[in-house]
Amino acid sequence: MRRCLVIFLTLILLWLLVAQANHLLAPWHVYLFVGGMFITYPALAMPSRAGLAATLLAGLAMDAATPVPFGLHATLLATAHLLIFNIRDRVPRDDTITRVVVALLANLGVFLAFSFLEVTRNRAPGTAWPRLVFDLLCSQAGIALIGPWFFALQAKSDAWVRPGRALAQDYD
Amino acid sequence: MPPQRFDQARPFLTLGIVVILWVVLPVGFKAFTRASFFELTAPAQVAASRLRDLQDYWSLRAHTDDQLIEAGRDLARVNASYAVSVQQNGELRDQVNRLKELLRMPAAENYRFEHARVVRRDFSGWWQRLIIRKGSNYGIPVGAPVVYTGGAVGRITEVHAYTSVVELISNPSVRLAAAIEGDTRPISFQGGENPTFGPAKATIEFVPLDVFASPMLPKKLVTSGLGAFPPGITLGTITKVEPSTDGLFKTGEVQLDPTLAELTEVTVLVPLNPE
Repeated sequence: MRRCLVIFLTLILLWLLVAQANHLLAPWHVYLFVGGMFITYPALAMPSRAGLAATLLAGLAMDAATPVPFGLHATLLATAHLLIFNIRDRVPRDDTITRVVVALLANLGVFLAFSFLEVTRNRAPGTAWPRLVFDLLCSQAGIALIGPWFFALQAKSDAWVRPGRALAQDYD
Repeated sequence: MPPQRFDQARPFLTLGIVVILWVVLPVGFKAFTRASFFELTAPAQVAASRLRDLQDYWSLRAHTDDQLIEAGRDLARVNASYAVSVQQNGELRDQVNRLKELLRMPAAENYRFEHARVVRRDFSGWWQRLIIRKGSNYGIPVGAPVVYTGGAVGRITEVHAYTSVVELISNPSVRLAAAIEGDTRPISFQGGENPTFGPAKATIEFVPLDVFASPMLPKKLVTSGLGAFPPGITLGTITKVEPSTDGLFKTGEVQLDPTLAELTEVTVLVPLNPE
């Protein structure tokens, strides 16, 4: 429970920082979306239930701050979380580069799924795609840039609430 | 082998059941949870906006006395011209009221002006919203129009304890009744494209066939007075009109003010006599 809450708090911190970045980037009509980073650490390094709970809570927090049906982000992130969780034993998941690559792939998937669901509100959906593609490229660059720092922060925070516990326990 | 396959699919099955349970949950519970999550992050966002204000304050403190004297002089000039405008406005308002009394016209809706700082701009390719630093604590109602010095900003879509959410006129889902300045015929306005590094655009429909506009001869688009907005508030500039496919009307493109994406303060028009 404590691990779930601490990881949830780090996700809220990330969301607030990205919201501030988006506020500053608004005059240039550039938007960063980092949904992929919300699921990477919980799916790769945490036990199933605690990780999924942290992802769902972060998804609901994102839903509350956006004009989408409440639960949409949570469902998309939870689905991506389960997909990554299923393959995590086949990748070197303690490696930072692996985590960044997984975050980039997850972000690509969640962004595209979300765009296909949301772009229908636009009167001419085709005109929205150049902007969305540019936003996606900027978001991926942002993830590559802050990913190592953020995953280190999550790992430190996670280690802080479980002193003395063997890392092997997470592999059950 | 089959049990292992089921074991792999079990989390997805559980998620599916959770999603189905979530869908059938009462709307009131979801609304309460949504509001709780929003209020959870609101203090941090408001604190960040106050820090930005403090940053601006200290950057202004760094200005020299000469710069402040110059700014004061410029402000005095602007104030002088505004004072004349206020006087003229008062005379015109009296005249309009006298004529309305003579014609026994119903009184127009009056508004209370509630100025608010912008907490956060949320401009994605999917939506365009602002969060402002006033909510139910200042009696802000849902649906109230929001304006700034350049014209219409949008309307209030969510009201929280200390913050409100404004849906911008550039948002693709926003539809308004508009009119060309000096013309009373209503036109349908809808938010549209928000290109990177460029001003937002909107579209208009049901434009009369005798209306012409081009980038060289643009026309000003204002609110028609039908709906939440009072009449005559600037929406944007019509830069293109072309016949629609049915040939009965025209459709067109509206260029919105680029400063819409840089707002730091807006004014909410709170109706004094809400229906």
